[in-house]
Amino acid sequence: MTVDLPVPGLVGHGALEARLEHAPAWLQQRRELAWRRYTELPLPSSSRDEDWRRTDISALRIEDFVADPGETTHGEALIDAMRAMRDAAAPGAAFVASTRLGNRACEDTDQLTAQGIIVGSLDAAARNHPELVQRGLDTIPPDSAFLALWNALWWGGTFVYVPPSVDARIPVFAAHTAAGDNAAIFPATIVVLDSNSSLTLIDAYASPATDAPLLSNAVSALVIGQGARLDYCTVQRWGAGAWHMATHRATLAKDARLRFFGATLGARLQKAYWEVIADGAGSEALLSGVCFGDGTQHLDHQSLQLHRAPRTHTDLLLKVAVRDRARSVYSGLIEVEREAQQTDAYVQNRNLILSDGAIADSVPRLEIRANDVRCGHGATAGHIDSAQRFYLMSRGVPAEVADRIIVSGFMQDALDRCPHDGVRAFAAQLLDEEIAGRSQAGITAPEVDAA
Amino acid sequence: MAVEAHALTKDYKYGFHDIDISVFRTEKGLSPEVVAAISAHKEEPEWMLKFRLKALNHFYKRPMPAWGADLSGIDFDNIYYYVKPVEEQSRSWDDVPQSIRDTFDKLGIPEAERKFLAGVSAQYDSEVVYHSIREDLDKLGVIFGDCDTGLREHPEIFRKYFGTIIPANDNKFAALNSAVWSGGSFVYVPAGVHVDVPLQAYFRINSDNMGQFERTLIIAEEGSFVHYIEGCTAPTYSSDSLHSAVVEIIAHKNAHVRYTTIQNWSDNVYNLVTKRAVAYEGATVEWIDGNLGSKVTMKYPAIYLMGERAHGEVLSAAFAGDGQHQDAGAKCIHVAPNTTSQIISRSISKGTGRTSYRGHIKVYPKASGVKVNVRCDALLLDEEAQSDTYPYMDIENADVEIGHEATVSKVGEEQIFYLMSRGLSESDATTLIVNGFFEPFVKELPMEYAVELNRLLAVQMEGAVG
Repeated sequence: MTVDLPVPGLVGHGALEARLEHAPAWLQQRRELAWRRYTELPLPSSSRDEDWRRTDISALRIEDFVADPGETTHGEALIDAMRAMRDAAAPGAAFVASTRLGNRACEDTDQLTAQGIIVGSLDAAARNHPELVQRGLDTIPPDSAFLALWNALWWGGTFVYVPPSVDARIPVFAAHTAAGDNAAIFPATIVVLDSNSSLTLIDAYASPATDAPLLSNAVSALVIGQGARLDYCTVQRWGAGAWHMATHRATLAKDARLRFFGATLGARLQKAYWEVIADGAGSEALLSGVCFGDGTQHLDHQSLQLHRAPRTHTDLLLKVAVRDRARSVYSGLIEVEREAQQTDAYVQNRNLILSDGAIADSVPRLEIRANDVRCGHGATAGHIDSAQRFYLMSRGVPAEVADRIIVSGFMQDALDRCPHDGVRAFAAQLLDEEIAGRSQAGITAPEVDAA
Repeated sequence: MAVEAHALTKDYKYGFHDIDISVFRTEKGLSPEVVAAISAHKEEPEWMLKFRLKALNHFYKRPMPAWGADLSGIDFDNIYYYVKPVEEQSRSWDDVPQSIRDTFDKLGIPEAERKFLAGVSAQYDSEVVYHSIREDLDKLGVIFGDCDTGLREHPEIFRKYFGTIIPANDNKFAALNSAVWSGGSFVYVPAGVHVDVPLQAYFRINSDNMGQFERTLIIAEEGSFVHYIEGCTAPTYSSDSLHSAVVEIIAHKNAHVRYTTIQNWSDNVYNLVTKRAVAYEGATVEWIDGNLGSKVTMKYPAIYLMGERAHGEVLSAAFAGDGQHQDAGAKCIHVAPNTTSQIISRSISKGTGRTSYRGHIKVYPKASGVKVNVRCDALLLDEEAQSDTYPYMDIENADVEIGHEATVSKVGEEQIFYLMSRGLSESDATTLIVNGFFEPFVKELPMEYAVELNRLLAVQMEGAVG
């Protein structure tokens, strides 16, 4: 894999120019336009923007982060650690890895390419398959500061295209990693499924378990064609100094189906949008997520279930546990347009608050413009049920172990909905470690050193 | 059904208006001079004039809310802020001017008083024109009158509480009310007194381009109980009116206050109301809030649970017909431990109507043992109808149980089919289902109100096909 190294620089016009050199003309235009939008749009503010009211990023100085450092301290070791994560969660999956330098690995893809599937770095795809890449980029217009910045500066990344009626034989594991030290990275995943095809893709974000500042501005664009089926998992394990701004956006054509699973464990502060746009009649999306926050983590999930066509069905379940002084923010919107009759949409957010200083906010919203619908939401916040704890203790289980059993049990139904067995088991294991008090924000030194 | 067919009419029943007989009105529009004129006309103490002028400043400074309903149709310069209909308030029905008496007769107020009320207050435009209270309650020290009289005759109680629950700078419309308030009710229930039959106030806007800004203050001392009911109507003019009330309730230790509203303004009224209660140790506050009328309503009755074991309940029912937007909801703020609250909201959108539930639950870090339950259900009757749900929750304590559920659906086809198979027409079946949907609300109303509400619903439902 050849890697083109842009010149070092902070997040600024220099970083843009470095990228323009390596981009085809159509992409240059896009990047320049996006950069202009970025300079025009204000950063979100908790006093001005409803979506950001509970997530304060006034301490974030984007221009202090390095967009293209020439040297990296953990280069190969990090890629090896990500490979180890692939082996743990999805052994046998194709492996595409990017760092702040760009695409660094593209392995075990032979089975897929033999099927006519295009898999590799997004940079390469932009040169070789511009129309397909544009289909993905077109679903991410630069209409907010972070999306504009991402459109201008994404680098490396993963691209997968599955031709009509092809069922990908193996999953794709897309790794996004960076050492800390003020790096800014712009993870990108674009998936285009043609009609009646199917694929499993795992997006993994991780960095060493340190407090080093890191900015991750990530986008995954999932374009699911007519009758196509995508199983998508994402695992977020940034180190405790990371700012993670992410948009996972799936667009579903007629009769398309998405199963989505997210595990949120890392970062200092996360704002992640989980969005499904049911564009085609009869499309369906089932989403579930688990999130564990501790220390002073601030983990924000915002979901959108947008129904634009009749007979569409979406269902989201997010389970959150917060400990110490961690704060979870969940907000979500089910929006049903006038044409989307016979919509069935539901969203649930259940929060378990494990310490007095921990906070969980929940704002599930409904905006319904069609009348023949069934829509609903449920939100709860509670603590460990003392009756359950008492019952376990009366059976000889120590209090601490009892609490761990109860928290695992609380997470179980969201884990059960994970579409990939390996990711489910891997996420369950990470959660167990978290519950036992070993933070999974970042990959630990042995994992990195062992590589 | 309790509703007889001949009683049904498609028209807004209270849409008539009387000729203007007002004895004093300020010029149109808002200025420090207008505010001073209101205060001078009422011969108020200096502190109240200062309070009003300060509030007017807050009103000028505050931007219009950028969220919620569309308020762009309000023209603050084209409104009469104070219209005084009579010289003197009456305690005897016979002393009320004939035309106003006729109005309230049509609305059924004296009849209601005779039947089941402990006290009645009737406000016509800016002033309360009539009020009465049962003698035995008077003797027990219960005070029920308008707020202006409260300020004049009970200055020490009035000043202790006025503006303490909703400060003048709370929001733009509370600031407006604080600057130009007039009328409303002042209720004081001494410790241990149980007012076993409801007190009622009736609000009527008569003038065109009129703003009604009543101010209600209810103080329930330790261990007392009071149920206050308000109803409101206005004529149907072609231009819009503004109603912006402020209601403050103080429920002291173990007191119980229930506040029932049947809002049935005509569909040219902007109804922008701030209602807030504080509940101290062991106290209970209930808002029973029905919104049927108005062009736009923005109203979120709040309960601050300040003492241990305080309990709050909000029961909200909203119906939005063609062109109406009911943006209603509730707030429960848990400041003290072991406090509980429940919010039940039922809303129906018909034609091009839009209902929004907007709620806020907040649990402060020290409020452990809190239990909250929120339930919102919405029915959409027509293709153009809209419904939104915005329930905010801020939970800052681990030892809580919070639940929120919401649903939006159309009237069940099986339910309609079942009723029609029993011989009901489709529209009767739909009306019956709608009545049943509002059941949790209706069953909390006094009988006479429940009958009236069912009748109003039947009028709203006229011509509807599920």
